[in-house]
Amino acid sequence: MTGATDGHLREITRRTALGALGAGIIGATAASWPRLSGTDIPGRGDNSLSIAIMGTAADAAARQRAIDAFTRLHPEIKVKVQAIQAVDWKDFFTKILTMVAAGTPPDVVYVATEGAQLFAEKLAHPLDEYVRRDAADMTEFFDDVHPSLVEAFMYKGSLYQLPMDWNAANMYYNTTAFAQSGLERPADDWTHVDFRNSLAAMRKARTSDFTPYYWTNRLFGGVVPWLYANDTSFLKETKSTGGEWLWDGFYANDPSRGLRSGGYQWLEPNANDDRVFETFDYLRGLVKDGLGVRPEEGGGSSLVGLFASNRIGTTPAGGYWVQGLHEAGMGERDFDVQFFPRWKTQRHQFGTAGYAIMKTAKDKDAAWEWIKFSSSREAMELIFPNPITTPARRSMVNEQLYSGKGPANWKVFYDTLDRFPTTGPIPAPPQQAAVETALMKNVSLAVSGDERQLKQALASMQRDLELALRRQP
Amino acid sequence: MSTTTPRLAGESGKRQSGKGAAGGVTTPPDANAPAQHQPTAKSRHSQRWLAWIFLAPTILGMGLFTLVPIVASVVLAFFRWDIISAPTFVGFDNFSEVVQDPTVRVSFLNTILFVVVAVAFQLGLALALAVMVQEKMPAWLRVFFRSAFFFPLILSAASVSIFMRYLFNEQFGVVNWFLSLVGIPAVPWLTTPGGSAAVVILVYVWQNFGFSFLLFIGGLASIPVETYEAASIDGATGWRKHLYVTLPLLSPTTLVASVMAIISALQVFDQPYVLTRGGPGDSTRTAVMVIFESAFQRLEFGQASAIGVLLTLIIMAITAAQFRLSKRFVFYQ
Repeated sequence: MTGATDGHLREITRRTALGALGAGIIGATAASWPRLSGTDIPGRGDNSLSIAIMGTAADAAARQRAIDAFTRLHPEIKVKVQAIQAVDWKDFFTKILTMVAAGTPPDVVYVATEGAQLFAEKLAHPLDEYVRRDAADMTEFFDDVHPSLVEAFMYKGSLYQLPMDWNAANMYYNTTAFAQSGLERPADDWTHVDFRNSLAAMRKARTSDFTPYYWTNRLFGGVVPWLYANDTSFLKETKSTGGEWLWDGFYANDPSRGLRSGGYQWLEPNANDDRVFETFDYLRGLVKDGLGVRPEEGGGSSLVGLFASNRIGTTPAGGYWVQGLHEAGMGERDFDVQFFPRWKTQRHQFGTAGYAIMKTAKDKDAAWEWIKFSSSREAMELIFPNPITTPARRSMVNEQLYSGKGPANWKVFYDTLDRFPTTGPIPAPPQQAAVETALMKNVSLAVSGDERQLKQALASMQRDLELALRRQP
Repeated sequence: MSTTTPRLAGESGKRQSGKGAAGGVTTPPDANAPAQHQPTAKSRHSQRWLAWIFLAPTILGMGLFTLVPIVASVVLAFFRWDIISAPTFVGFDNFSEVVQDPTVRVSFLNTILFVVVAVAFQLGLALALAVMVQEKMPAWLRVFFRSAFFFPLILSAASVSIFMRYLFNEQFGVVNWFLSLVGIPAVPWLTTPGGSAAVVILVYVWQNFGFSFLLFIGGLASIPVETYEAASIDGATGWRKHLYVTLPLLSPTTLVASVMAIISALQVFDQPYVLTRGGPGDSTRTAVMVIFESAFQRLEFGQASAIGVLLTLIIMAITAAQFRLSKRFVFYQ
């Protein structure tokens, strides 16, 4: 730039001033770089309690009613609920982690079983001190909630969430399809053989545009309920010690007290177990004989519509399905629900969800107040006015909730926990995402070919699970 | 340095060598140019500043949103980082783990196979349709076809894939329903390795061939009519005209179209992610899917970056090879 030194005094022209301004902005940005994060964006850095939930604008009204009720109780705590739209829980957790990376983590997150141990291991703050402190207030909650749901949120002896809602993988069936096939309501203790016979009867009665058994390839409601019924799983399930403070404090007189622990652990793969093979072989038989579909990975978005249009005979689902079927036009007597078929056991699979306080929460006491309020009967009635899920409180799973919508045997939902207290959560260690991928990617192959392909798929699953569990969460 | 300074519009031809000129400028003096229009050294200096000010937003944007992430990604490939804990330097561990990971290897192989098949189909289809549309037909029909073929490109790949997932459902999909009308049994499109790969390629090509099509339309329009007339006089007809005139003269466009199609196909994500989630098995898992899964589902940002670096090197190598080969196969008029 030889022209820069021409011997004249520089005049501050408009252009020079603009240049200086630009350089100043860049300099100021660079100087303040260490302090810049997503919270510097206007509107994000206030002191309100930030709560992230999976949801859409459609749920806004119920949400706002709960916020208003909380604000009346705690006017000093400003609440900001962020409804994050996601395809599934894995997608939702990805978005939460993105917020963490951006420097704008929420203070409280609604976390389902799929992510409970990931959050407990890395992101969440235990609730033990708060539950102990407010034991008098919490007794009523725990009295109303089955301990199986609470145990799902225990991790290494500490409690990280309070269950708000849950769903077991029960078996829905189309009453019209059953009637057309000459079938009656199955017995409570029907077996996997009875189930197969029912499918065969439906297939015989309706040969086209109908699937007797529709299932999806997911952690919830896919192959896992069958594995649980056959007293096995694709991961070896153990339990950690600890948690006596909770069980002795709130569930000392519960008949299942002896089963409770410091939380579930899934440390080793189990896809090479003989019963896992037996279970997959059973499902392979259903597919081969045209009784069940080959499951698509992550499928299920079209399930409600297909079931409501009488093109599916049976499918595993929980109480969350009732409202969807009602809105899709199904009458309360058009469908019903029964326990999952018995095999070696009748242990069911369930998933649950509740709020977790993030380690980074600015005001953890305020976060706990939100959780405590949300667990109250008043708040849960505001949040779950319809059967879009099964409330964790037994007293709320009542005639009124299912009135005019069905199913006739809605008591099956909560009875699942009471009658089968070993019923367990979705197997979701902290490495859940890698574990889920390892499972899902091998299921379709396992049930779609011959016995040789099944063995190859299970060997591949075992190898993939070993790799997944070796990864740091 | 001043010789590399971009010239501003209107500046060309008005520079004078000699007094006050920026060092090294050798543009001959224009004797007819009025003296009052000759820019002084000061005004040239100001113009350079003005140029930088106008360029600054772009340079800043490129730097912040392209260059910095690229450098950060390369650096991150040497660290173990899960967003939550502090990063730990691990040297080349991420690269060695990634190379040994069977899923990563399969995904790269899938990606290469996908590129070969999808790009061949995409370019072949685009070229064939471009030639057909350029044939004699009413102008409105030509406009209609151009719009129709380009339309899928403006749709969201995720939305299209969700829609296609319904169409290709084994039990209730429309595709199998049509096949059943002619007696073909239901095809398990999305639950077998072959069927899934076919659907992913089909959906990708359907959505992306419109861009190559537009490039070919432009390329065809630039071929002089006289060349075809000369070929006709020499006795060339029908396909021979296309073989000996269209294809050689279209080769620069084909090069550009193929480079862009290959780079795009190497980064395929939306279609396999929504349609099949990479399954069954790993049959439709692609390199970018593995990057996404490593980073955002398993929180292994270092490994994800390592895979990204490897993919970038592959893209650069393939592109360089294309340009090298182009010296033999591309004809410029």
